Order: sequence, then structure tokens, then C-alpha cells
Amino acid sequence: MNAPSSPPSPARTLRRLFLTLFLRGRTSRGLRKASAPKSVGSKLTFILVIYGFVGSMMALGFMGKPVFSLSLYLHSMTLVFLGMFVASSAGEVLFNKDEADILMHRPVTARAMLWAKIGVLVEVSLWLAGAFNLAGFLVGLTSAETWWLYPIVHAISTACQALFCTGCIVMIYQLCLRWFGRERLDGLMTTAQVFVGVGAVLVGQLGPQLIGRTGLKMEVANVWWICLLPSAWFAGMDDALCGTGNRSSWIMAGVGLAATATVLGLAFGKLARDYEMGLQTLNEASSAPRGRAGRRRWIDVLVKAPPLCWWLRDSISRASFLLTAAYLMRDRDVKLRMYPGIAPMLVMPLIFLLQGNRSQQGVSPHVMGGFDGYAVAFSGAYLGLIPMLALNLIRYSQQWQAGDLFRVAPIIGPSPLCDGTRRAILCFLALPALVVFAVFVYLLGRGSSQLPLLIPGIIALPIYALVPCIGGKAVPLSLPTEEAKSAGRGLSMIGVMLISGLLAAGATLAWNYGWFKWFLMGEIIVTITTYAIMRASLAGARWEPID
Amino acid sequence: MRQMISVKSLSKTYGSQVAVNDLSFEVPAGQILGFLGPNGAGKSTTLKMLTGMLDPTGGTATICGFDLRQQTLEVKRHVGFVPESGAVFESLTGLEYLEMVAALYAIPEEAARARIRQFIAFFDLSFETLTDKLLGAYSKGMRRKVVITSALLHNPPVVFFDEPLDGLDANAAVGFKALIQTLAREGKTIVYSSHILDVVERVCDRVIIIDKGRLLVDGRPEELVASHGSGTLEHLFTQLTGGGELQRRAEDFAKTFRP
Repeated sequence: MNAPSSPPSPARTLRRLFLTLFLRGRTSRGLRKASAPKSVGSKLTFILVIYGFVGSMMALGFMGKPVFSLSLYLHSMTLVFLGMFVASSAGEVLFNKDEADILMHRPVTARAMLWAKIGVLVEVSLWLAGAFNLAGFLVGLTSAETWWLYPIVHAISTACQALFCTGCIVMIYQLCLRWFGRERLDGLMTTAQVFVGVGAVLVGQLGPQLIGRTGLKMEVANVWWICLLPSAWFAGMDDALCGTGNRSSWIMAGVGLAATATVLGLAFGKLARDYEMGLQTLNEASSAPRGRAGRRRWIDVLVKAPPLCWWLRDSISRASFLLTAAYLMRDRDVKLRMYPGIAPMLVMPLIFLLQGNRSQQGVSPHVMGGFDGYAVAFSGAYLGLIPMLALNLIRYSQQWQAGDLFRVAPIIGPSPLCDGTRRAILCFLALPALVVFAVFVYLLGRGSSQLPLLIPGIIALPIYALVPCIGGKAVPLSLPTEEAKSAGRGLSMIGVMLISGLLAAGATLAWNYGWFKWFLMGEIIVTITTYAIMRASLAGARWEPID
Repeated sequence: MRQMISVKSLSKTYGSQVAVNDLSFEVPAGQILGFLGPNGAGKSTTLKMLTGMLDPTGGTATICGFDLRQQTLEVKRHVGFVPESGAVFESLTGLEYLEMVAALYAIPEEAARARIRQFIAFFDLSFETLTDKLLGAYSKGMRRKVVITSALLHNPPVVFFDEPLDGLDANAAVGFKALIQTLAREGKTIVYSSHILDVVERVCDRVIIIDKGRLLVDGRPEELVASHGSGTLEHLFTQLTGGGELQRRAEDFAKTFRP
């Protein structure tokens, strides 16, 4: 932020401001500029490296393949990563509660603020998209039908896609604001983000499979509905300009450009006034929605009734349980981080179940070998991801400084708080997800015969839920929100998926070879032992000093 | 005398809830207006409307002759505002924050730096702290000083203060009170909203008390106190806003703490 000698324009100042805020995070405590250890910028660098690596691995599998297939794959995956990134960042960037008091009385228009914020989102999106497609630029040159222009054309189509993706999400926010108003915006923003995240994962998962199923020769003439996929529009650009150049590719390229222009025009032009209204109303006190008081009473009744009253005998755990439940249901900031973060993860096992179901149709158990029902067992084991992710995310809040209350209270360590939060997450997130998975397994035609395969995952659930609590780290709402943008979390999730995969493989083999009950008994013993050790460790945790 | 703030039938409603109801008043140049009311009376909403942060539902207002609805940007260029929240971007250093604010008002860098140095000297801030530490690490008082500086940096003719003394130590508060009195003598118009009534009584030339969005009284503090036979502004305030029983209620409540 070294200012030049003449004053920069307000637009430039705002863009630089929002980029700085994005990279450093919006809140800090006790940090010096030079040694801000939790700078989002350094994490972003790490994320760019990871993106580059993952993108390279994916692109290398397409050496010498047709341009459209490679581009469709790259654009599909870029859409997944960008969609999830923009969906999770847009809420905080676009609607920050403190911002109104700082900027709204300055001589800048809401439109200028919107443009500056969008500029930052697009800029960071382009970095991510660029890192992800880095290898793809070169791999495209190995295709027999392409020529040297591919890296340039693919860079342009990727930039268009980044603009389209960002514009779509901003537009969804603004339309929610316009149609449903401030009172319902919070819930709708969460829902919109959930759908964007789920949609992005679906496109990312289904796109590559479609490519594989059509023998890497996907064309609109063969698969007409492919033109409905946004990633296909931008792949069409690549194919039109430096691939086959056929008519369908040109049509899709045209659709892509028209869609991008329309979305940008709506998001940044027509709906800018709605954004101004949204900013104004963000700081206004609003009356509580109807039914909120009733919801609170419902939770109170639940906590006082068996079995929860047996489970929450300690008053601190009970208070923590109620606090977590209230924030899971009411707080815009928590909901915007929690549900869009979890929903795309939940889609994965459902896709897995669908695939498992399809592969079993017409295939005898003999052909399936010992892995018949693996998808069901994996879904159960995958449940552990929910408390892990949720307990990680519930620690962050815009009101994190209020978390000092826990340290002021006569509580020797964070253990009882973690207990309450853990139980709330298991009750309100893991249990409903288990029911959804079970219903899904039942409806997919397996009936109740394979439902027991969910049990190994259920048994392991308490262990998964204790992992984020180790050292007393899962204190609810006690950390600033920018620390939630952690690349490390993604890596730990990959670890959980691997363990879930192994657990599911063991359970499936045991199921198919007739020693399932012995497997369960062994798992119960291991779980109880591990649980006891982890609980003892958690009980001994003490408050860490505040930096 | 030129009226710097002119408010006519200003209203703000949220659905059926009325926050500000048909408020009208004028403030001439060089006057310090105390803007008082109990919690939820509509003070902050009024200030936010007058600084262009919120659109009024009804009525009009002009600031320095600029229409609040039609010339919002001009109004914003001519006002400074210290919001009650004292919000800042915590991940900027104090200097970065003030330079950012200066750029939004198109103040050249050299002029901005010189002005910032003047404020640093006045508020006894260290330049190293301002350049090195992020605002999130500042004490509440230091942060408030930065917010006050950011409101005055562009030398606005009209300044709105919403609880400006919150977090300031006694010396800084004394200095600040002297500052706004001097600024008013130099011709600036100041609207001062606070719950610290004895300060308002000493500093302000004129006082407005509102409740439930409506104007209750408007006049010089000593005249208002005399006309209502209240003794002090605090008594007048509690008399008008229904706080007369507070002493007895506080005593009754304190008795519940007896072992």
C-alpha cells in the first residue's frame, strides 16, 4: 500500500484495499505487518502450488488426446475449484458487516465498491485458474489436431470461464437480494452457495466420466445435451479456434461468450443498485424472523429431554451445545461457511453409491469379488468427514473476540466446551446425513440388506469427531474468520478419505466373506480404546495463551 | 447565519417499525449540536441518513447546501463521520488505513502525510506504531484516535460524532473536547451524539433530545434545564425519556445481591 505521489483514483484505491484485505484477512489481533504469520497471501501461494500440481496430474493423462476432450476436462475441473472458491469467498467479500461504517459515508459509490470487489475476486480466480491449467496449456500442444495457438486460446477461454463463474455467483447473490429481500437473504445466500458447490462437484465428477464413456470423442452431434454444460461452452472455444473447428464447437463458443457477457452485464450493471441496497441494509437492525423464538424453545426442550439430558449433564457442555446449535441455525457468517463447505463433500458418497449401483446392475456378485457393497460401506465411513469438517469450521466467527468469554469464565480448560460443540455437530449434522445416506442406500434398490454396511462408519464416528478436538482446539466461535481459509484442511480431508476408504474396504471384505460381526467386534474394541485415550488427552487440555 | 444542516420531516421506517419520525431541525455554521436520546431512539439511524449511508424513507435534508438524495456524493465529500462502532480494517496498519481514506477523498499524498503527522502529534501516537502495527493490535483508544483522524483528514465543514469519547483516556478526552470547541469556533458545524450528558452539557451550544424517532426538545442546555426545572441535563433527560424511576429501581435491584 505505498501510495504514489499523486492521489490514486478511488476505484484503484478500493481495488488495492480489497485485495490487501483479501490477502491479509479482515481481522487480526496482536499482529505486526512484517510478521503477520497467518497471512492469507502465504496460504494462497501454497494453494496455487497445490492447484498447479493437481492440474498437472490431471492434464498429463490427456497427452495426445483430442482438444475438446482435454479442454472439457480442464474446464470442468476448473469450474469445480473456482466455483467452490468464489462461492465460499463471495459472501465475506461482498457483504461485510463492518464495512458500511467504514466506507459508506466516504465519497464512493456502491457501484465502485462492487466493481473493486469483483475485480479482486476475478483476479484471484484467474490466478487459481491459471495455476490449475498451467500444464494443460502445454499438454494441449500434443494433440494431433491442435496447433501452436492452443495455450493462448485456452488462456482466453479460461479467463472467460473465470469471469462467467464469478459473475454467476455475484448475480445469484443480487437476485436473492432483489427477489427475497434482506430478511431472507441470509438463508438464501447459504442455499445458493450450497447449490453452486454441489453443482460444481457434479459437473466436475460427471464431466470426466462422460468423456471416458464416449471414448474421448465427445461431440454435440453425438451427445446433444453436452451443450448444457458451461464447461463445454468454453471447451468449444478451444476446439473451434485450434481444434477440429467444427460447427457445433463454434456454436458452443458463441453460447459461452454470450452467457459470459449476459451474466457480467446483469451482475455488474443492472443489479448494482440492489447491491447498494444490500450494503445499506446489512447494518440495519432487523426484527427476528417469525418462529425463531419457537425454534429456541424447541432446542431447549430437546436438551432437557432424554436422551440428550443424559448426554449433556454438564452445564458447560450443555451451554456449548446450545451455542453451537444456535449458530448453526441462525448465524449468517457461520452458515455461509458451514453448509457450502459440507454439502459438496456429501455429494461425493452419493455419486459413489450411484456408480456402485450402476456397476452392479447385470453383474453377478462373483464378478464383483469381495467388494460387493463397498460403496455403501464407504458412505458410512465417509460420514466421519462431516464432524471433522464441521468442528473445524465452527471455530471461526466474525464475533471471535466474544470467545474471550470462555477464558474469563471459571473453566479450567476447553474440554467441556469442545464436548458440547462436538455433540451438537453430531446431533444436527452427522445424524441427518446418516439418515439421508441410509435412505439413499435403501432407495437404490438394495433394500435393507446392505444397511448394516453403514455400521462400521457409525462406530468410527466418535473417533472422527474427537480428532479436531485434540488439544482443546474445537472451541466454538473463537478464531477470526480469515484463518478458516486454510489449505491444510484440504490435505487432512484427503487423509480422512484414505482412512475411510481403508475402513470401507475392510468392512466390505468382512461382509462378503462372512466374518462381518467379528470385524465389528474388533472395530468396537479398537474404537473404545482409542476413544478413552483421546478423551483423557482432551480432558487434560488447558487454555493456550492468546498471541 | 448560513444553515449547514437543514433537516425537514426526515423519516425512516423498517416495515411497520418507525425508527425516525418526521424529524426537522437546522444547524448553523460554527455550532456544536448535542444529539441525545435513549438507546433505540433513532440517533444512529438519523446520523447514518445525514451522512448518506442510509436512504431516508421520507422527508429531505441538505448538508452544506447539497441535497442528501440528489447529491449524495457531494454531501459525503463535505462531511466527516465517527461511527459509534469505531470499525476499521484491522489488517491494515494505521498509516495504510489513513492513506486509503485520504485517497478516497483525492487528497494528494504529501498533503495527506503532513495532515496525518499533525494528528499523530496531537493524539500522542507514535509514527512507528502507525507504520508497523496492524490496527487489530491497537488498543481501543488508539483505534478511536485513528477513526477520529480519518473523519477529519479531509477538513470537512460538517462533522458527525457518534460516541467519540468511547475508549479514549482522560487526557485524550480533554484534548478532544478542546479540539471540537476550537473547530466550532473556526466555523465547523459539529453534531455530537453521546450518552455522557455532563460532557454534552459542557461542550454543546445546543441540544436536541429525541425518543422513539420523534423530537422531544430543542434548545440551549441551560435554557432547557431552566424551563423544565430539572437542575441538570441528566435530570431533564431522564424526566423526558421515562427514566425517572431508575434510582429506586437500581436500589431495589441492588438489594437482591444481599447474601
